[in-house]
Amino acid sequence: MTNDSVWNTQSIDLCRRRWLGDSATALGAIALTSLMEGESLQASTPIIPSIDPARPYAPRASHFPAKAKNVVVIFCAGAVSQLETWDYKPELIKWDDKPLPGGPAVTFQGPAGNLARPQYTFQQRGQTGKWVSDMIPHLAELTDDIAFVHSLTSKSNTHGPAENFLSTGFNLDGFPSLGSWATYALGSENQDLPAYVAIPDPRGVPQNGSNNWGPGFLPAAFQGTVLSAKDPIRHLVAKGVARESDEAAKHLLEQMNLQHQLHQVSDSRLTARIASYQLAARMQLSVPDLSDLSTEPPHILRMYGADDTKNGDKAAFARNCILARRLIERGVRFVQLFNGAYASAGRLNWDGHNAIKEQYDIHAEIMDQPAAALIKDLRQRGLLENTLVVWCTEFGRMPFFQKGAKGRDHNPDGFTCWMTGAGVKPGVSHGMTDEFGQKAIENIHPLYHFNATILHLLGLDYERLSVEHNGIQRRLTNVEGKLIREILA
Amino acid sequence: MLSIGLCDAQDIDFVRDIRPIFVEHCYSCHSASEQESGLRLDLKSAAFRGGDKHGPDIVAGVAAKSPLLGFVNSSDQAKRMPPDYALDAKQIEKLNQWIEQGAVWPDGIDSVREIDRTDHWSFKPIAFSTLGSIDTLIEAKLRENGLTRSPPATPIQWLRRVTYGLTGLPPTLDETDTFTRRLTNNPISETAYAEVVDRLLASPRYGERWAQHWLDVVRFADTHGFEVNTERPNAWPYRDYIIRALNEDTPYDQFIREQLIGDGLGVDPATGFLVTASVLLPGQIGKDAESIRLARQDALDEIVNNIGQTFLGLSIGCARCHDHKFDPVTTIDYYAMQAMVAGVEYDDREWRSEETATKKRRAAMLHDEADVVQRSIDEFAPIARPKSASRMIRSDKHSVDFEKQPAHIVRFEILDANLHSSLGLIEPCIDEFEIYSDRESEGNIALASNGTRVTASGSTESGSHHARFVNDGIVGNESSWMSNAKGYGWLQFELPKEFNITHVAWGRDRTGKFDDRTTTAYRIQFGESTDKMRVVTELLPERPAVDPKRIHDRIPITLTQRLRLTIEATNSLEPCIDEIEVFNQKGKNVALHAAGTKSTTSGDTLVPAVHDPSYVHDGMFGNDRSWLGNENGRGWVQLEFAKPEEIGSIVWSRDRSGSLVDRLPIEYTIEVETPDGWNRVADSTDRRPWRSGMDLGPPFITTTLDPTDARRVNELIKERNRLDAQIKALERDQFVFAGKFRTPDSIHWLNRGDPEQPRDLVKPAVPVFLGSLQLPETSSDQVRRKALADWIADASNVLTARVLVNRVWQGHFGTGLVDTPSDFGRNGSKPMHPELLDTLASNFQREGWSLKRLHREIVLSETYRQSSSIFGREETMKQDADARLLWRFPGRRLDAEEIRDTMLAMTGELRSEMYGRGFDLFDKRGGLSGFQPVETFTSHGMKRTIYAHKIRRERDAIFGAFDCPDAGQSTAKRRESTTPVQALNLFNSTFTLDRAKAFAKRIQVEGGTDLNQQIRVAYNIAMQREPTLIELSTALDVVKIHELEPLCRALFNCNEVIFIP
Repeated sequence: MTNDSVWNTQSIDLCRRRWLGDSATALGAIALTSLMEGESLQASTPIIPSIDPARPYAPRASHFPAKAKNVVVIFCAGAVSQLETWDYKPELIKWDDKPLPGGPAVTFQGPAGNLARPQYTFQQRGQTGKWVSDMIPHLAELTDDIAFVHSLTSKSNTHGPAENFLSTGFNLDGFPSLGSWATYALGSENQDLPAYVAIPDPRGVPQNGSNNWGPGFLPAAFQGTVLSAKDPIRHLVAKGVARESDEAAKHLLEQMNLQHQLHQVSDSRLTARIASYQLAARMQLSVPDLSDLSTEPPHILRMYGADDTKNGDKAAFARNCILARRLIERGVRFVQLFNGAYASAGRLNWDGHNAIKEQYDIHAEIMDQPAAALIKDLRQRGLLENTLVVWCTEFGRMPFFQKGAKGRDHNPDGFTCWMTGAGVKPGVSHGMTDEFGQKAIENIHPLYHFNATILHLLGLDYERLSVEHNGIQRRLTNVEGKLIREILA
Repeated sequence: MLSIGLCDAQDIDFVRDIRPIFVEHCYSCHSASEQESGLRLDLKSAAFRGGDKHGPDIVAGVAAKSPLLGFVNSSDQAKRMPPDYALDAKQIEKLNQWIEQGAVWPDGIDSVREIDRTDHWSFKPIAFSTLGSIDTLIEAKLRENGLTRSPPATPIQWLRRVTYGLTGLPPTLDETDTFTRRLTNNPISETAYAEVVDRLLASPRYGERWAQHWLDVVRFADTHGFEVNTERPNAWPYRDYIIRALNEDTPYDQFIREQLIGDGLGVDPATGFLVTASVLLPGQIGKDAESIRLARQDALDEIVNNIGQTFLGLSIGCARCHDHKFDPVTTIDYYAMQAMVAGVEYDDREWRSEETATKKRRAAMLHDEADVVQRSIDEFAPIARPKSASRMIRSDKHSVDFEKQPAHIVRFEILDANLHSSLGLIEPCIDEFEIYSDRESEGNIALASNGTRVTASGSTESGSHHARFVNDGIVGNESSWMSNAKGYGWLQFELPKEFNITHVAWGRDRTGKFDDRTTTAYRIQFGESTDKMRVVTELLPERPAVDPKRIHDRIPITLTQRLRLTIEATNSLEPCIDEIEVFNQKGKNVALHAAGTKSTTSGDTLVPAVHDPSYVHDGMFGNDRSWLGNENGRGWVQLEFAKPEEIGSIVWSRDRSGSLVDRLPIEYTIEVETPDGWNRVADSTDRRPWRSGMDLGPPFITTTLDPTDARRVNELIKERNRLDAQIKALERDQFVFAGKFRTPDSIHWLNRGDPEQPRDLVKPAVPVFLGSLQLPETSSDQVRRKALADWIADASNVLTARVLVNRVWQGHFGTGLVDTPSDFGRNGSKPMHPELLDTLASNFQREGWSLKRLHREIVLSETYRQSSSIFGREETMKQDADARLLWRFPGRRLDAEEIRDTMLAMTGELRSEMYGRGFDLFDKRGGLSGFQPVETFTSHGMKRTIYAHKIRRERDAIFGAFDCPDAGQSTAKRRESTTPVQALNLFNSTFTLDRAKAFAKRIQVEGGTDLNQQIRVAYNIAMQREPTLIELSTALDVVKIHELEPLCRALFNCNEVIFIP
């Protein structure tokens, strides 16, 4: 007999007594009420940005020198298979159509079928010799500059909660998104455009919709503004109102507010509202200029595939990619570019349950060239030196097909996202999944770490950047988070 | 193994020998920053108390009984501490000896001090004080800080403030007038103020305003949230309940009880409180067991959070994974609270009320009426044709050969068409009809080029479809004939002369692109003239596919005593039948158990009170009264009537309530016993094949009936549909999304909050530091919720009243006395005026928990009445810019709903109707993303914004930008941010432009033709004051040139309108 059993018996007894609270001395309450003097000082002190209500987008200092000033996130909705893209598993070829020993009988959507080989050929690329699939030939050319994280995990295998987790750090609805956090902390370099722009896929908005760019309980100013090459900002102009009448209304409003202010000296909220109308007026001028892609030369349109006359979805996504570059050029802090729309059994996004090869042929054609061109274009303009480009998806897919289908089910236990650009170590593959690519087994990183690393590259302390909500100092990475140092330059 | 006495005993000194071991090997997990398993070793008292699950870790003098030693010495790698390596033998021996020698840990050497977490102001009893009113207490505090109160606001400023404060709307012209006149006429002005407050509190607008505050906190919405975000169509009764309860001034303690156990108090909708959160519905949760467990945990977590935040101002949810970091809420406390609500499911429940009972009775009557109509329809149903040959009708080409027959006229009548996947039965289409004679050389004699003339029953004409295209020799949809009747039509070919016909052929689309609109039943007639036609061949329509709700088999009248239904295939699993009815010639159901009929079956799966073979003819419908077979895909039921009966109709179903569609028999045979033996009278061979999710089409095809009968049936079907729609409307409001209650789940505490790591069972209880309420695991759901409600609503609960009066205070002054309204815990703010908070709370309890009384106390105070001006108070501004000490009234911006309602009030368009299903702000009421905002509003869209159908996470396209919560998380306090998007929305949206037009119209009506007077009216409506001369002339300059709309737009947007003074 070991000692273990002796004290286990005793402890269970005590334990029960404690939480049943039947002890006359209220042992429970005291036992857990110890708080160290000065504890709050030892813990990280929250940093709450100070925001001038009249200039919510004014640039604010980072917590420490930042590697990246701006961010472009390419968000592939629907969960891109790591096995068809970046995480090469030759064992799957050997085990093709054989059952996974000890594998699960049932996964998200139903019974599991046999293991299935990668549905595309893989080749080694560039100096690093990184194996990447032929599905994405243009992005594959860039692997020498990319830092891959192959060992990410999510907290949910359901698109809604998992996209919440990727975008906000929480499974539940209603928490602030990454872009909201970034602009809340840093404001923007451009005062004439929204600080944070979300560009939906031309085929529709992603599965989890606006929660991916929602401000949660941060001020509404930090909500992602929806804008795409196809659809301009809503309410930018008053439809059907003559210019003179519009000007007259603006002028009258200005007069009214000035009159009112005479009696309310130094109320900053009034000043802020007056300023917001001036900012809105500037936006009315700068947004059309921003969205006017006609000034882009033909070779740029060709490079992105925006001139593709056969594939309208690709051309439209390419135009969104050009728009993303133009936003970054203008100093907009955070651009979130969506590839893939809402739940559609994989027809409109990366949710490849049924016939993954057929579906991915379509999606890859739309995503690959424009996304690769965006990165190349940012680089050739020198913008990549202070822009971080992130490619992400909410989770990965299973190494086996679903029973009776030629597609893969949801897999939150090991998948790949990557970064390139400012502050990122080029040509790294960090972390590993098992031989079949099912589970992360080395350097496992919950998505918290990925988000923590993005904030870090922006010069933000992810453990301290906070907002108070219902008595809790909320952070993007909750009480978790760790830097993925291995991918930092 | 522990080896006592390995070394020579020596005196161990804690500071020299033991603490360094703790520092180096234990502190990283067991000290201030982290306390794994609740253990910390940097503090004497805590160390001796031990970790969560092991009691005291150090038993002085008895090393063998000290878990600490057990851990460092464990042979089990998984238990041994530290986790990654073992301490060396010397260190273990030192620990051993230290404990054996009495574990001496001198006092006063720890660098940290322990604080009792229960020692916190809000956990202490409410101090009962009669010493002060709001004003005396506020004034005392101001004095302490060397400040003074501001002079009173102008009466009109106050009127505007209090009208918005209590009702969320501006004062009307009349209200302003009355108040002003009252003040001029009556020197005792206090009455005038009190009258306004009484009027506002009695107004139904009061409940609408304050319900919004409440709904923010409980994150109410009309959709389920998450990815699919589908409509929650029966959520609105909770919103209405809140408005009503507030208007009726339901005492707050009662209000709490109703929201937790309203099902036991006759107010079902109130319990909507329990299920206001986002939730994953069964279809969205993964099929794997882990997903299901996690989803249930998340759902329960939301309920606990809602209760904790809303009523108690405690973030209990923080203890889901670890003990609360600041408050004395343990993980066990958290799961004990989960156990309190572990019988709650997110679902609709029956809404029991007088109104719904009436609707229910009416629906039952209409059901009976509908049954009568249905029986009349049934009389025309085609007789079953058992053993029909399976039909293969091709869309591209179908041909029929004949023995050679003479004909001058060929008539082709379409009797049925295939069902479109989404549209059901639609108009059939023929791309080309061909007729061939016995002389091959003549080719297709139907061609118009041969002189054949075609006429049709009716045509849908377009560039692609015309009757003449049917014999133009061109195939494909682009040159075809389309009928103008659903599933019916005929073509008649008049040949140039009589021919001997040998075969005809037709297609829907010979290019193979389309396979809808295909003829599936037809009749072909030949004749020498139109009045001498004879049927040469026909293929009769199939009967509809089996419908889980109702399958009807009409058979030739047969005398029999025994009938057998044999199932040969199901759409899944063992067959299930809720009822079989067999009608005799008089229309009486002779199959009923009560009529003496006996049943036997092939075998049964028995589930008490759900599945039993006798339920198949008990006269009761639904899955819960059904027979379930015991073999996959097959089985039979035999009925023996009390005596031989002349039967003609069998009606049976899988689930007449329509909720279940699995286990459906899709291939079957019905036989009856006759003197010649068993005789097959109906089967599924003449039915349309069943497909998952198919549109079932009409109850049967009437094309074969004679025209009078067909008309009669179609009328009956219309009548049936009308009744069904009425029944649906009546039944729609029979349910409320207010939680379904059932036997509670067993709740275990979960290690790190992980549903895959369940530990011991937890009894329902309230947090130990707040009370001693604990219930046995066997207590029922309602008992649990009642006990919880009683505990929260008890006057001795230290948090309930404080939290509520603070929310009300915040509603009036913008900031609560505690400025973290949903966190009264240690991490929340301390109250600005503890005495005032407790005075308000104890008065509130003593005065019957009346919210209206509390409002009255606040808004009639001088503190509330003082000016908000900062003119000449620059010094005070420096000291207390936010006016937390209330040296002035802190004005505020209107919130999203107030702005919209104000605009409608200004134009006179605001409708005062209350309650009911929400009006639309978007093009759909839920579902996948991509909501398009409604731009133009009429009728119900002019109701107050609280009556909008609230789509979770989808902020309103215009007013959402004004910090309108998205109902994702609880919003205890709205932000007041300023963004350019707000400016664009409020200045340029169609809503604003439409309101500007309407406002202009009103101004013209009320102001007459004089522009000056018009502008005066506009200012009075918008700002409750006359314009100044400068304002008048500035506005006049604009109005003269551009008319009134620019002025109206500016007024909607200007600060004086958007801010409360």
